[in-house]
Amino acid sequence: MAPSDESGSPAAGYDPASHYDRVMGGWALLLGNELHYGVFDAPDEPLDRATARLTGLMVEASRLEPGLRVLDVGCGSGAPACALATAYGVEVVGITTSAVGVDTARTRAAAEGVGRVSFEQRDGTDNGFPDASFDRVWVLEASHLMPDRKALVEECARVLRPGGRLALCDIIRRREIPFLEVRERREEFATLRAAHGAARMDPLDAYVDLCRAAGLEVDLAEDLTDRTLPTFDHWQANVERHRAEVEELMGVDEVAAFEASNDILRRFWLDGTLGYGILAATKPA
Amino acid sequence: MSTRRDQATAILQAFLQRANKASVVDDTTSLHGEGLGLDSLELAELSAMLEDDLGGDPFSEGLMPDTVGELLAYYEVPDPVGS
Repeated sequence: MAPSDESGSPAAGYDPASHYDRVMGGWALLLGNELHYGVFDAPDEPLDRATARLTGLMVEASRLEPGLRVLDVGCGSGAPACALATAYGVEVVGITTSAVGVDTARTRAAAEGVGRVSFEQRDGTDNGFPDASFDRVWVLEASHLMPDRKALVEECARVLRPGGRLALCDIIRRREIPFLEVRERREEFATLRAAHGAARMDPLDAYVDLCRAAGLEVDLAEDLTDRTLPTFDHWQANVERHRAEVEELMGVDEVAAFEASNDILRRFWLDGTLGYGILAATKPA
Repeated sequence: MSTRRDQATAILQAFLQRANKASVVDDTTSLHGEGLGLDSLELAELSAMLEDDLGGDPFSEGLMPDTVGELLAYYEVPDPVGS
């Protein structure tokens, strides 16, 4: 959910990796260390337990086993890749379009002494890996930033070995949004864009259709909207808890934009516009 | 004296500059995909700018033009109030 790339004009003495680390530190205070939504069994349970539950659902959907080779599309700062390699004995190749993200992820892996992980600057919609070169493809909250959704799913399917699995979770669109409504609510959409980048959300069914068209057999497509809703209250509580520190790390405007986007997303969740979904599919053997 | 089409052209150019989109367009340039690549939010913003300045826009009337030419053609009809 955190921004996937750098923005802004470099100033004299500007160190992109250092700046990225600071901003990511701020995001971690707001979103929790896993930097993604939580799946709650009860609204008041701790955020870290809920984010771990989402990771667990993705692990379960992926059917991870030691020795498997996993492609992490949109790997962010590399934390999930390192965690997967450590916890499940898999080899993970993380890709992101952000050069700073790759540097940060490599530094993280080295600092944590995690072997069997590597990071490369590649585009998930045109990844350049050989056909059938991965056992699993993992796409956690990255697809909404890749407008060519068809190319993304086709690339995921292409690099999977027969019998391999794709697991994906992300924000979804739960209804058609008429043009006049987009126009009426354009300030809300513009606020989301400013805070989280130029995202495009598709219905869960659209992902399912793309998977099937790419030759994958979908065995999981679950709407997690209700269970992810408490995430926004926890993020807002983190703003209140860490305001001085995150404003120092990220800037006052960035934090204000996050709060505004948080309120908008909560409304969209409640009015049935946006939500959250997870899907998994297998490439036939 | 500029026509409403001229005014709409100026608004479109201002919008494209603000949105960091290609500024060299002609009547055949698509508003979508391989052309200007405007998404629904950008079209909504353009629609609002046109209506604010010219009192109407094709998107709000459900016409949904596909090209720059189709968009500007909407303003070729003489303005009844002579703006």
